[in-house]
Amino acid sequence: MASLTRFSSKRRIAPYVFVLPFVVLFLAFSVYPLIFTARLSFTNWRGSGAAQWVGWDNYQYLLTSSQFWSSLGNSGVLWLLIIPVQLVIALLAAVLLDNARLRARGFYRIAFIVPFVMPLVAVAQIWVVVFDTKYGAVNAVLNAFGIPDVGWLTTTTWSKPALALLFIWKTTGFIVIILLSGLQSIDASLYEAAELDGAGRLRRLWSVTVPLLRRTIMFAVVLQTLAVFQMFAEPFVVTQGGPYGSTTTAGYYLYNHITRADLGTGAANSFLLVIIVMALSLVFVRMLRPKD
Amino acid sequence: MTSITDSPVARRIRERSSTARRSGPRLRQQVIPQIFLILITIACLAPVAWAVLSSFKAAPEIIRNPLSFDPTTLTLANYTAMFQDVPIGRGFMNTAIVLVIKGTITLFFAPLAAFAFAKYEFVAKNLIFGAVLITLMLPQIVLIIPLLLEMKELGWVNTFPALILPGAIDAFAIFWMRQVIAAVPNELLDSGRIDGCTEFGVFWRVVVPVIRPGLAGLAVLTIMNIYNDFVWPVIVASSDRMATLQVVLSTLAQNITGNRIGADYATVTGELLAAASVALVPLLVLFIALQRHFISGILAGSVKG
Amino acid sequence: MNIQRSTSRTGLASASLAISLALVLSACGPDVTSPSEQPSTGAPEAGESAAPSTDPNMLQAPTEASPSGEITIWDRSGDLYEVFDGAIAAFNERYPDITVHHEAVDIDAKLQNTLITGADVPDGVFLDDAKVAGFADFLWNTADVLAPYADDIAQQKLDVNSSSGGIYGVPFDSNPGLLWYNATALESAGVDATTIQTYDDLLDAARAYQDAVPGSAPIHLEQSPFLGQLQLEMYASQLGTSIADADGNLRLDSPEYRQILGFLDTVNSEGLGTRAEYLSPSDIPELENGNQVFYPWAIWFSFAPQQLLTETLGDWRAMPLPAWNDGGARSGAMGGSSFVLPRDGANSELAWLFYEFLMFDPAGYAAVWGPNDIYPDGLNTSIPSYGPAADPQDALFAPVDALGGQDLWLVATDAAAEIPGSVPTPTWWAGAVDYLGNDLQRMFDGDLTPDEVISNSTSDIQVNLVDRK
Repeated sequence: MASLTRFSSKRRIAPYVFVLPFVVLFLAFSVYPLIFTARLSFTNWRGSGAAQWVGWDNYQYLLTSSQFWSSLGNSGVLWLLIIPVQLVIALLAAVLLDNARLRARGFYRIAFIVPFVMPLVAVAQIWVVVFDTKYGAVNAVLNAFGIPDVGWLTTTTWSKPALALLFIWKTTGFIVIILLSGLQSIDASLYEAAELDGAGRLRRLWSVTVPLLRRTIMFAVVLQTLAVFQMFAEPFVVTQGGPYGSTTTAGYYLYNHITRADLGTGAANSFLLVIIVMALSLVFVRMLRPKD
Repeated sequence: MTSITDSPVARRIRERSSTARRSGPRLRQQVIPQIFLILITIACLAPVAWAVLSSFKAAPEIIRNPLSFDPTTLTLANYTAMFQDVPIGRGFMNTAIVLVIKGTITLFFAPLAAFAFAKYEFVAKNLIFGAVLITLMLPQIVLIIPLLLEMKELGWVNTFPALILPGAIDAFAIFWMRQVIAAVPNELLDSGRIDGCTEFGVFWRVVVPVIRPGLAGLAVLTIMNIYNDFVWPVIVASSDRMATLQVVLSTLAQNITGNRIGADYATVTGELLAAASVALVPLLVLFIALQRHFISGILAGSVKG
Repeated sequence: MNIQRSTSRTGLASASLAISLALVLSACGPDVTSPSEQPSTGAPEAGESAAPSTDPNMLQAPTEASPSGEITIWDRSGDLYEVFDGAIAAFNERYPDITVHHEAVDIDAKLQNTLITGADVPDGVFLDDAKVAGFADFLWNTADVLAPYADDIAQQKLDVNSSSGGIYGVPFDSNPGLLWYNATALESAGVDATTIQTYDDLLDAARAYQDAVPGSAPIHLEQSPFLGQLQLEMYASQLGTSIADADGNLRLDSPEYRQILGFLDTVNSEGLGTRAEYLSPSDIPELENGNQVFYPWAIWFSFAPQQLLTETLGDWRAMPLPAWNDGGARSGAMGGSSFVLPRDGANSELAWLFYEFLMFDPAGYAAVWGPNDIYPDGLNTSIPSYGPAADPQDALFAPVDALGGQDLWLVATDAAAEIPGSVPTPTWWAGAVDYLGNDLQRMFDGDLTPDEVISNSTSDIQVNLVDRK
């Protein structure tokens, strides 16, 4: 950490200048709307005319609404389905891609990016067709192994896994890149030392890579947690929150208020969501913080 | 903040190393990773391959027989229909403009701000970093109505400033770069100052070259995020003139999603797949180009302790 | 990095920052106190004809001989967009000085935000009938301009566009529900569909078909919650009812809905129904292989036999829906759209002229429904809601080859004439899908009885939607 000794005035001013652009944009496009939203959350404004003050009514409605809690539950379950799986796959892929001796790594890198590049709207449409219960490709493949049709998008049991698969498919490449960047700052000699000590690949992964990557992994987990709880485009396009609200995530539930012009409740919902998400992020940061 | 390579773990391992001998590639070491990677590649590419191949089928056929593929009945009908109906060229242009301007803004100002957070102490530093965190944690949808009203006040609806400025300096970018820059040894910075660099010079001449792999990763991710941005552009700038690629596609798909009341579900699906296939190409080309330019420099030695 | 310490300091500092900012910015945002800002949707008393000068939101038609200006018209992308686009030329023959900017827009996603912020508001928008009432606060009252034509417009369309005594849309199409049936398959099974008069008859016919074709499930049951609810309302429309009455009170708990749900439950429990989403990859094969032969649906189902059902080409026909009771109405409205005119539009009166031309001028409605570049035989997925245009004897679109040359126009216009009057759709109709739409699906799953559907939906909708208005 830079110590607080005597500095030139230029050095003292510099950080202010550096963060100024961000601060300006933040004040203009985040703070103002945020204050607006806060006021809105105490009203029942529907987009036109005057708004009526309703106090804590919106918050009360949400906190006692089974739909609100189940939307959080849905996001929670999705989190469990997505984060662990994605982390393992991305870690393995990143480690393998980091290997200078691997052939065709450029090709793999591009392949992993393709899902991210594909427009979500198109992907969603593909998912709808490919995961169709009777005529979809996925069930056709399962049938070949003797597994009967799975109601991917039509049953409450499988709708979340189908959506989780979509999210994993689309965003894992993103995480691979983050992890790769983190990996590339790890000195290669550390691996070789471990190898000489007789550690196998998995052992090296566990004892060398993961600890050193801890900060990066934490970063990725927090990022994806935010994304999962805010997720709304995917349920919006693929399942419209169904079947029976099983894929109504926290973000989608929030969106519903806004599309139904229930802006006061939407604003209250926004704040509740922000609080929850912040709390979760802090938990993860604490949990995964490197011990040094 | 200590760098990764100074951690006790790393120090211990380094102490026990000797000049490394490269072990010859063992078959098992090469084959298993390859299989894993190939499987993942197939999983990544299969849906896309399906989309691209299907775009050459007759539209009703795509819906009726999703898995069939008859090379003798291939058609370009979806593409011709798409180019007629869908302002995809416009969508590309708008996306490109937003990408370049917004991307440059983020790639320049975010690491700069991150540098301030990582390497300086100043009043309200934690407060402002808290602002970064808040920005990161707010669901995008939360601010939409107020932001839209603000755009209206400014007269920016359906203009480029509305697409570019809100969120122009990505909080995620600051967050990440702060981490990356924190690992840069302070001695390097100080030697830069001793050599007569201004503070900005320290950033530009010392920090930036050192964090090049991080910047490369950031460039890729920034581009992808801007490209994929769907919610805000649909709402603030979706006139034909201003629509970005995602907006163009979502306008196209509205007859499919949800209600399917529109009569031409099949045609729209065909056009959508054609549009998606076309949309893939420039991005892939861009990414391949970026790959070669930046990432190949990584192996040549960057942040080594 | 020490988030913990920084968070507490951040918390305190940002709280004080927020408070001071809040004081400064409290002028921004919607006015919370003054009721005088509320635009009066104040319309004349219900039942009276509107006196032109009392309602500030009443649109007046332009009076000049050759009005000029530019208008922006929004339509959903797709074939309808193409049809309207083609009709602009005909419009410009009548009004050469009005320039039409025709835009394909994702209306469902954009309209609300556009109206709320008042930014770049179009002059005319195509909108589902179910949504018109919800936007009434932002729209022109078209009662005056529609007055010359009102007597000839299908009553149901006027009712559904009404709110607080005013009318807020220009009715576009009438979407009568029809019974679509696979004539060829039914004939081979020895079932004469043309004798079906009531839903009981339909059940008998379905049972007979199932006996002849074992393993079939002749009647379509809709699996999409939204479309399922829409179809339910079609059945209800036949009985002259709907989810809520003119005052917004729920009326699900009624003999009519019991009868409808009872019928659907019977179809389901006797295994007479194929459950699939409308024209999805699961639905279409069942239509082609003779498994599903009865499809009670709006006229816009006609798209399927013409474009999608290649193997059964020429086998399908349309007939009026069965009636719920002897002598009852043989059709109900399913969906349907209108054109609305936002008050913030720059040239709303000119947009009115555009729609007036398309809907009420022979040259206009011929351009929409008659033969054109997109549909050489005419647009046959809907019929006009304007009487003189929907003359059974004067077809705008040609007999449909894919239906074996059937005169669909005649069938549809006769059926539409039977649709009873209605009431405005409540603003929360789409939100009700989470409750009623889902509960209906649960009934098909076998998890709820019809009575449970009624009681659950009623209480859920009451608490979550009606009470929170």
